[in-house]
Amino acid sequence: MIPCKPTLQRLTLLFLSIFVLSAVTVSAQDGKTLFVSKCQSCHAPDMKTGSTGPALGGVEDRWPDKQKLHEWIRNNKALIASGYPYAVEISKYSPTAMDLFTNITDPEIDAILKYINDVNTGVIGGKKTEKDSENGKESNQNAVIFGVISLILALIAFILMYVNSNLKKLSDDAEGIDRPEPVPFYRNKVYLALFAIVLFIVGGFFVSKGMIGLNRQTGYAPKQPIYYSHKVHAGINQINCLYCHGNAWESKTAAIPSVNVCMNCHKTIQTYSKGPKLYDNEGMEINGTAEIAKLYEYAGFDPKKPDAWDPSKAKPIEWVKIHNLPDHVYFNHSQHIRVGNVQCQTCHGDITGMDVVHQASELSMGWCVNCHRQTKVNFNYSDSTGNQFYSIYQKFHDDIKSGKMDSVSVKDIGGLECQKCHY
Amino acid sequence: MKKLLTIAGCAWMITVLPSCGGNDQPGRAYAPDMVYSRAYETYGSTEDIAKAGAYYNERPVPGTVARGDAFPYPLKHDSIGYAQSATYRNPLSPDSINMKEAERLYLINCAICHGSKLDGNGPLFNGGDGPYTAAPKNFMDAAMKEMTEGTMFHSVTYGKGQMGSYASQLNTKQRWMVIAYIKSKQGGAAGAAAPAAKDSAAATTPAPAPAAAGAMAPVAAK
Repeated sequence: MIPCKPTLQRLTLLFLSIFVLSAVTVSAQDGKTLFVSKCQSCHAPDMKTGSTGPALGGVEDRWPDKQKLHEWIRNNKALIASGYPYAVEISKYSPTAMDLFTNITDPEIDAILKYINDVNTGVIGGKKTEKDSENGKESNQNAVIFGVISLILALIAFILMYVNSNLKKLSDDAEGIDRPEPVPFYRNKVYLALFAIVLFIVGGFFVSKGMIGLNRQTGYAPKQPIYYSHKVHAGINQINCLYCHGNAWESKTAAIPSVNVCMNCHKTIQTYSKGPKLYDNEGMEINGTAEIAKLYEYAGFDPKKPDAWDPSKAKPIEWVKIHNLPDHVYFNHSQHIRVGNVQCQTCHGDITGMDVVHQASELSMGWCVNCHRQTKVNFNYSDSTGNQFYSIYQKFHDDIKSGKMDSVSVKDIGGLECQKCHY
Repeated sequence: MKKLLTIAGCAWMITVLPSCGGNDQPGRAYAPDMVYSRAYETYGSTEDIAKAGAYYNERPVPGTVARGDAFPYPLKHDSIGYAQSATYRNPLSPDSINMKEAERLYLINCAICHGSKLDGNGPLFNGGDGPYTAAPKNFMDAAMKEMTEGTMFHSVTYGKGQMGSYASQLNTKQRWMVIAYIKSKQGGAAGAAAPAAKDSAAATTPAPAPAAAGAMAPVAAK
């Protein structure tokens, strides 16, 4: 009995710690995904700088009442209307009202708040990109160390084998036993077979990895005819994405704005002087005013004679397309952003922070399907803002009522059907 | 020797090929003819269609009205048109205007300069600190409240002063919706006692005098 107890204790402890650890990581990841999908389009991810919404670091300490904070996150308009003083005070932060998140659950809010707190206090590394690259470096270093160790071990094993065979030969000679000459290792069939198998596995891994990577353009950031910074326009100056890419709301394509849309503002804004310094991919500094002058060349606009400008004489700027889907894939912007309420940033990354736009997502089929599996559909169609179309899914409504399902995701309403995207 | 060359070639292909394509190259495609569209794309030349004798000038036939759009605006972009526009009325019936959608259009297309509170102080101007140096019109000014919906529509359609034309971003119906939204906000703020402040569609409540005068006036003859 006595030796049994510590083992049992240890086992329980192990199980407990595994349970606790896994629970912590799950909630942290949930908090991050929730924050990225729901909050990050307006709140800065470092939790320390203000953006469309205020910096969120220490938000729980600022709010006098936790329950009210939850109410604010769910429906800030109702809380402001109720006259709660702190809500009224922060509603003055910006004329842009915060979105309503009426469907968010208490555990989800807690996960987000925990993530905010973790990032703010530095438990989770500050910036996402820095953290990722650090992780990458760490695993790279580990790989190098393991590689060196296994090389040394292999060398030692080889030397020992050599020594062993020499000793054997010596002892054989001493005892006068005559053995045939040993086969050198490069003609030894076992070694050759082993080598071939290893080469096949390692080579196969890299070849298949390369094949999968074909036409994946993640990170593609080509040089554009004009250095156009999304960070300056959509980030610092808060121009809505739909101001220029308005077609994304109404049609399949997001559309590239015509020159006259640029000129709506650049008729007046003729120099770049108030924003931060701009750098291209190679780290060369960009003269913003010279880039605006390039626009005037396309537009046929003379800053000295602004009234003489004829928009119909403008030439299109041939922007280089970054996000490209093959012809055999159907993708519709309006279906996602208008019907599905997906934020632009969900697929295009932190576009308001990019000077030079790069493709943030893989845009592979696995990536699409994964999102369709995870994304929940707003089935609350009885609400006037909801989508009446979902009323036809009687079975799902019954299942939700009876508790068989807690939510409906895109996969349940045909998001995984081949012919939804390939036809 | 031949064997060695083959092995070296294979090794080179395995290591070098997948790493091709830096940040400024899109990388290799598995089946390029499926990836890069063969259809006529945005910047594609239409010369060969014209050579084949087909009518194609990238523009709809003159007089085309898009499905769901309002009837086109007849007045010309000149001083006569501008003067006539003062008596032109919004062709949309007030009940048919979805104010929520109109507000969305305003916030995207107009609020960047004219401000989400219609006070002429959007993020681009920002009290003169923003990059946009020309002060946008404050819709809450008495002068702007007196401006008729027709004149506003004329300015949004053709541009006025530093403001460009928004006809490429908003169709005729959407422009009228935005004008109706601005007018309802102006009326709502002026008549503090009127219930219009709550109900943004100020259709049933009496509008302030200038707007009403514009609405009563006969529609300009074509």
